[in-house]
Amino acid sequence: MTLSLGERWTLIDRISKETVTFGKYEHTLKDAVGELTVKPLTGIPVAIAIMYCFWSVFGSFAGTLMTDGFFVKLFDGYWLPWIQEAFPGQGSWLYAIMVDAGGFESGEFVLSDNCFEAFGALTSGLFVAIGVVLPAIFIFYLMLALLEDVGYMPRLAVLLDTVLHRVGLHGYAIVPTILSLGCNVPGVTATRILETKKQRFIMMTLLAIFIPCGAQIGIMEEVVPNLLGWILLYLIIGYFIFGYILNKIVPGKAPEFLIDVPPYRKPLLNNVSKKVWGRIAGFFKVALPFVMLGCAIVSLLYLLGVIQFIGDLLAPIFVGWFGVPKETAGPLVAAFLRKDLAVAQLSVIEMTEYQLITAVVLVSIYFPCVATFAMMLKEGWKELIAAIGVLTIVVFAYGGMIHLIGILLGVA
Amino acid sequence: MAEQSQSQLQSKSSSTAVIYFAILGIVTTAFGLADILVAAAGSEFSYGILEIPNDLFRGGWGGFIVLFAGLFYLSGARNIGDIHQFAKVAMGSILIWIMAGSDIFAMITESIPGGEDGPWFNTLDGFLATYASPYAPAILLLPFSLVVIYYIYHRD
Repeated sequence: MTLSLGERWTLIDRISKETVTFGKYEHTLKDAVGELTVKPLTGIPVAIAIMYCFWSVFGSFAGTLMTDGFFVKLFDGYWLPWIQEAFPGQGSWLYAIMVDAGGFESGEFVLSDNCFEAFGALTSGLFVAIGVVLPAIFIFYLMLALLEDVGYMPRLAVLLDTVLHRVGLHGYAIVPTILSLGCNVPGVTATRILETKKQRFIMMTLLAIFIPCGAQIGIMEEVVPNLLGWILLYLIIGYFIFGYILNKIVPGKAPEFLIDVPPYRKPLLNNVSKKVWGRIAGFFKVALPFVMLGCAIVSLLYLLGVIQFIGDLLAPIFVGWFGVPKETAGPLVAAFLRKDLAVAQLSVIEMTEYQLITAVVLVSIYFPCVATFAMMLKEGWKELIAAIGVLTIVVFAYGGMIHLIGILLGVA
Repeated sequence: MAEQSQSQLQSKSSSTAVIYFAILGIVTTAFGLADILVAAAGSEFSYGILEIPNDLFRGGWGGFIVLFAGLFYLSGARNIGDIHQFAKVAMGSILIWIMAGSDIFAMITESIPGGEDGPWFNTLDGFLATYASPYAPAILLLPFSLVVIYYIYHRD
């Protein structure tokens, strides 16, 4: 049976009359609250409050409860003394790499009394991975999954769209950015949601340079909690300054985006737990081996004197250009392999607060961790080389700029 | 007649809400400003059961959130019968819940472990002592902000 155009429209009218109810749509409270979180004037205070809650819960759970409350006690009080005793060959190379590099006091070999200083794969490596990073990324991904499932993330994307366009990105760039605060590896993968090569390159470069991962933030929260705000502020400012510059010089397009903002919904336990588990499992598979291996390699390089040699070689640059003490050269070189442990090492070096802020910012922007490096390589070697080129320039320019700000303020 | 008395009742309830949330807005805004000033000065302020933190995170950042909550209340209290205005009042309360919830969660995480040299878990006395006064402004404002739930369920 073939219907003419007129008959088709008549049929459509008849069906719509029987199935569609017409009436005046009335806004519900949920709709009105939803609108408030998208409008800049009211949405920005809400975003500020949600970020506050995010970091407060992160610090309380990962720092106060899990790491300080239980894991420090477990690792320093039980695990470290046990493994120092049980592992054979105290003072040997293998012992130093796996358990404790220790130190010499009045010519005598002395064991470390905490896992931060031991620098062995089975002590510092395990403590950082299980005692610091695991609680940090668990609570981070749990909060993120809740925000996604409640329906807040698309609203945040809309809210930040205008700002992110200034750096050649769009609102959805907030997803890889926030994911990277947990671990840079899924963050780099998530850059695929951006449409053009230019956007993906800018995003990947900014993630690798300016977004500290959960491991780093966890350690910062542990060893320099009072400076964390300043360090993050420097990184956020750098993210926008260099994003703006990259947007101007990188050729390509940065298109607009269309997004369907869903209504607020009650999150489902099943969905949230699946997301959190998937992301943590990903961290264990990809990033955890690098944490353990990184510790072992850092110890080995220290033992071979390689880090000391490179540190001495680069010390004039660190002291003269960046304004940090000579002793920071070693941890800054070691940061190539383990940024989190480098932060811990920096915290015990005698220096002013401003020098410590500079040194920790340098550790963050200095080089992506090995796992991120591998992920970036997977996305394309040309992009990786270009990103490293940008990174080298940024480290010198931004590091020098922070030093200059310190000189002008009279604190450097 | 019945319709007229119901309308009078609603109008009375609405004016009570306006007065209540306007006062709450003024108090919340004052607390927010006090939070920011104390954080800027860097010295802690304590009076009775009230304690204003002096750190930049809870006092400074948190102070701005309390201030925004107060402004939401004040802005929404005018013509509260309109759903969009009432949503601002609800949002003011949500901001207080976020602040107070974060502070209470911080208390819970502090109260469970036994401390650096103590046992694994806190003693009952130590656990309860963590929840004793003084409290941050957001926690003191929490019970007053809950009134919005009554109005959410009793709107028309």
